[in-house]
Amino acid sequence: MSVAELKARHVAATETVNSLRERLQQKRLLLLDTDDLIEVVAVAGYAKAHGKSSVSFGATDLVCCRTLQGHTGKVYSLDWTPEKNRIVSASQDGRLIVWNALTSQKTHAIKLPCAWVMTCAFSPTGQFVACGGLDSVCSIFNLNSPSDKDGNLPESKMLSGHKGYVSSCQYVPDEDTHLITSSGDHTCVLWDITTGLRTSVFGGEFQSGHTADVLSVSINGSNSRMFVSGSCDSTARLWDTRVASRAVRTFHGHEGDVNTVKFFPDGNRFGTGSDDGTCRLFDIRTGHQLQEYYQQHSDDEVRHVTSIAFSISGRLLFAGYSNGDCYVWDTLLAQVVLNLGSLQNSHESRISCLGLSADGSALCTGSYDTNLKIWAFGGHRKVI
Amino acid sequence: MPLETENGVHYSFALEYNGPPLSYDLPRAVPINVKQIPVAAVVSHLSLPDKLSLPVVKPLLPAGPGKNLSKELKSIVSQKEPGSEEAATTVSPTLVIDRAIESNQDCRLSGELTSSGALEFSTGPCGSPCISKELSIELLNGGRSSSTIEFSDSFDNKSRESTSRLRVSNELSQDWASSESVLSIDYPSSRVSSLKPSGECHTHNEGNEDGRRARVVAFCDVESDSGVVGGDYSEELGEEEPRFVRVKREPQSKGKKGTCYRCFKGNRFTEKEVCIVCDAKYCSSCVLRAMGSMPEGRKCVTCIGYPIDESKRGSLGKCSRMLKRLLNDLEIRQIMKAEKLCEANQLPPEFVCVNGMPLSHEELVVLQSCPNPPKKLKPGSYWYDKVSGLWGKEGQKPSQIISPHLNVGGPINVNASNGNTQIYINGREITKVELRMLQLAGVQCAGNPHFWVNEDGSYQEEGQKNTKGYIWGKAGMKLVCAFLSLPVPAKSSNSCGEQVNSMMSRSVPDYIEQRTLQKILLVGYGGSGTSTIFKQAKILYKPVPFTEDERENIKMTIQSNVYGYLGILLEGRDRFEEECLAEMKKGQSSDEADSIGSSNSINCKTIYSIGPRLKAFSDWLLKIMVAGNLEVIFPAATREYAPLVEELWKDPAIQATYNRRNELEMLPSVASYFLERAVDVLRTDYEPSDLDILYAEGVTSSNGLACLDFSFPPSAFDDKFDTDDPHGSLLRYQLISVHARGLGENCKWLEMFEDVGMVIFCVALSDYDQYAVDGNGCSTNKMLMSRRFFESIVTHPTFDQMDFLLLLNKFDLLEEKIERVPLTECEWFDDFYPVISRHKSSSNRNSINCNPSLGQLVFHHVAVKFKKLYASLTGKKLYVSLVKGLEPDSVDGALKYAREILKWEEERPNFSLSEYSFYSNEASSYSP
Repeated sequence: MSVAELKARHVAATETVNSLRERLQQKRLLLLDTDDLIEVVAVAGYAKAHGKSSVSFGATDLVCCRTLQGHTGKVYSLDWTPEKNRIVSASQDGRLIVWNALTSQKTHAIKLPCAWVMTCAFSPTGQFVACGGLDSVCSIFNLNSPSDKDGNLPESKMLSGHKGYVSSCQYVPDEDTHLITSSGDHTCVLWDITTGLRTSVFGGEFQSGHTADVLSVSINGSNSRMFVSGSCDSTARLWDTRVASRAVRTFHGHEGDVNTVKFFPDGNRFGTGSDDGTCRLFDIRTGHQLQEYYQQHSDDEVRHVTSIAFSISGRLLFAGYSNGDCYVWDTLLAQVVLNLGSLQNSHESRISCLGLSADGSALCTGSYDTNLKIWAFGGHRKVI
Repeated sequence: MPLETENGVHYSFALEYNGPPLSYDLPRAVPINVKQIPVAAVVSHLSLPDKLSLPVVKPLLPAGPGKNLSKELKSIVSQKEPGSEEAATTVSPTLVIDRAIESNQDCRLSGELTSSGALEFSTGPCGSPCISKELSIELLNGGRSSSTIEFSDSFDNKSRESTSRLRVSNELSQDWASSESVLSIDYPSSRVSSLKPSGECHTHNEGNEDGRRARVVAFCDVESDSGVVGGDYSEELGEEEPRFVRVKREPQSKGKKGTCYRCFKGNRFTEKEVCIVCDAKYCSSCVLRAMGSMPEGRKCVTCIGYPIDESKRGSLGKCSRMLKRLLNDLEIRQIMKAEKLCEANQLPPEFVCVNGMPLSHEELVVLQSCPNPPKKLKPGSYWYDKVSGLWGKEGQKPSQIISPHLNVGGPINVNASNGNTQIYINGREITKVELRMLQLAGVQCAGNPHFWVNEDGSYQEEGQKNTKGYIWGKAGMKLVCAFLSLPVPAKSSNSCGEQVNSMMSRSVPDYIEQRTLQKILLVGYGGSGTSTIFKQAKILYKPVPFTEDERENIKMTIQSNVYGYLGILLEGRDRFEEECLAEMKKGQSSDEADSIGSSNSINCKTIYSIGPRLKAFSDWLLKIMVAGNLEVIFPAATREYAPLVEELWKDPAIQATYNRRNELEMLPSVASYFLERAVDVLRTDYEPSDLDILYAEGVTSSNGLACLDFSFPPSAFDDKFDTDDPHGSLLRYQLISVHARGLGENCKWLEMFEDVGMVIFCVALSDYDQYAVDGNGCSTNKMLMSRRFFESIVTHPTFDQMDFLLLLNKFDLLEEKIERVPLTECEWFDDFYPVISRHKSSSNRNSINCNPSLGQLVFHHVAVKFKKLYASLTGKKLYVSLVKGLEPDSVDGALKYAREILKWEEERPNFSLSEYSFYSNEASSYSP
């Protein structure tokens, strides 16, 4: 078969795929009238009908109670330990800092061999931290290992194999030995940390993989075999770790890079945040978009969503924006409840990452202003 | 409101309030300059704006220290004449207004407030809504400016700014400095009591807490050892912002010292932690709140960024028992490390005088980062003997021998150590103790000689050539020196080479590293040769460019690459064979249509055919390649197949295919370099040479990013021109090589490189006739793709003020190619009409002046194209340089050019406009 012939076939196949996709979308639209009416339009309407009123927050209900100072560069990523009071943060100053959120003190400052770090994660036991960045390697540090003479912590493992930057990593829940990373090489990888080898590679060569850099992963908390990834191809894809060959489902809808994905606490939905300024909520069982969270601004400037997190109940969605806003959305009614960016002591710059502590009592935000802040409910209200 | 426990540690968040519903409004912070209230704690409920608990300006008579003013406020206020020059401080339940308060305006304001409203407010419970609206407005107008000052204590210029604003708006007649001095005289003696009952403190929120401190302006007492510098200090302090020492107002008028500055509890015997800037003391339950995460050690949150109190320098990094109890070991270690190493806590360079000259930042860095730095450097003035490395306090005997030849301070004075022996060492009259030591060392000191002592202890008499001996060489001299408490040279400073090494390996604190490390970003579209330049730099500037492991990896990479190339060849062979056969068949079938069966077997043999064994190998290799696990079969493949490869390579069919390699699109241009040596390369004992490594693809930074720290080795050229550069040798560079793809879609991650000093953009000149498939799946000229990438990078907001150096790489390839393929192949260059006389060009290929070669003309044309493009996009000048990535000198030259640009960037502001244009012309000598 000659090259020209192959090319012709490829073009034809691409056309077929596109037309099929078109048909799929039309079918979806048709379904939207019936199925989604119940789901979308009416997540809000239904709620109202049942007398659900929006969550309302006073200015002091969520307050900044700690400021974690110590980084000298932009903070790019943070993660909480499951045991609730420690945070690891990664910054452009080339350091990982492990914080005690209660005392707001540092317990470790790890100088990284490659300063361009983009993501960090705590292991489920809290003994290891992982980080990855532009060097395309995911490095694991053992916090209990002794530091060398310069006071630096040596890497306990290097997971190399990605052909692009490591944009995001997350430990598989309850397993210190498995980790999922997403990368600029269009793939996600499940790693076996003990051997340092790739267990499975998701996407890449395969047609159902992402067609652009993958920016984020989130593992389903209730079923750790499922994870979702968000990519620069403005889609999110759902994967089953047992089936590396193809994505379980592809979620279209965003009109910009999907910067962040996060599973909803019940594991049946997930949220996305994108460069198009919206957050969306997708259902993994039906594949439909349930809700869109978009705040219209007077100026037409689009604020990218950089990071999202759900409250424990799922009623609240915290979303960080590139202009330093941090909205608290009512997920049910799609209304902004509070803007942390307008509160006292708020960040002065883009909020790059945020995360909720394991028990949901505190929110930590990291910003380009080099600080992390911990927000907690300061009001009389019950935690939701 | 958070529920605070009185005694326990109250830093658990998200506690619910489950007390009875509150009938009153919660107190709230005055929303003035909210951003400048640096607290890290819960702020209570914000109430309505007309119920502001505003700062009340309450003047205070200097005669009334120690009095409880709560009941006397009215009378004091009425006694107080507006415009009095007396220092006045004010007290309010929430805020204390300082320093600007004695201004006329504020006094007048307080005069106005003599009304009962003010009193009520200040004595009543906090946040009580008993002020009339007018009053609160008045307070807002009058009080805002002062409270601006109140909160602006954290930044020097901000406080100035606000004062000047105050001066304008309030017609402050007083001089800034004088008001300070008045304050500093008056305040410390006056103990002002708060009007509030102490119980109310807890109802206050954190935001107000800050303001609850009064402040006293005091000049810091810098420990100065000589009168010479003393003057400098006061001048320095006079111009600079004076340091504020806060004094906490105590809630109860007991006049008792020793309570916590935040909760006002405890006594002088309770254990407290002290702020190393402002001397505020906090009890164990408040210290974590007041000091936050201590990014610079034990400082109040508001003091972060301030230089420390010099008298506390000794205690830096020494942890108190209290902190040890509160925090765990790891946390303590981090705090103490930060306290010792953070930049704000370092010695201010102007406080250190060496040989009568206050140091600059760079000099201090040089001094502290040398292999043998002075121990426990304190502010003061020192003498330093650059030749021998002797170091001591001004007017005293030497205390230490530090690294010699550091370019710090001025020349040494004759009487630097205040000696009176009339014996001189390196131009310094030595002290009696030293003379004693010399005598014990057996040095002839008769006749008041002048000695010249080197760092190794060898000495010679001035004016004479021969070394007379070694001072410290004699046995027992160490003991003698120890006895006389004189220094002996440290061991590490023996040889110069060792010094350099130890300097490189020494881990310098971050703040020094940041100042001396210049980052250069090297980017280019795929195939532009960035990695070659990077590898070349590594070979050039690293003593050991590649470690054993790396070499092993490189070897594997090269070998698997060669297998890859072979595979491409074999694939090509298959194709050629097929085509050949097809043609033959066509020829045959037209010629002799009858005898097909018999001719097939004969004609199957073309020049591209190979034997069955090789055919099997070839099929196997192709299968492996298609499956994409070429790497998996290593290193077994090398062992087993090396002879087979040799046979294959020598096979005429492969050679024939190789001769048609131009038709194989997949085959990269470097393939021929390796293929011609395939047999050698695929041996197991193959050791890649530097040139091999340079040629090899995917050796470094194949995965996006690689960085290399280096410093330019001093060369003869540098010595000649850069001797006036004191810290030139200290400057280190970091070359960061990133793939275009490593930056993400639309250069999403380019913002991570905002701190680089300059960007080197690499373009392969030979790309003008190359095509690659771009993101949309269509084939595009690689030069145009480079251009697109260039455009997106130079216009990226992160690189707004960045300097760009364009490296036009692969000039050698271009020169070879341009004879065959015209430049107009690329549509961007279709206006290239070289005026060249062909027969002449070959003789004068390299002389740019006589008659430039076609290659050079092409280079100029491309350079001008890029310059015009750059100018139209950014309005700035683009630096361009020509590079042959495979030639070390060429890359070295380009990187040195980059260094010049970086230097020039630093110096540019010093040049006038005319000079600037002159220099810029020179810098871009190829500009049209």
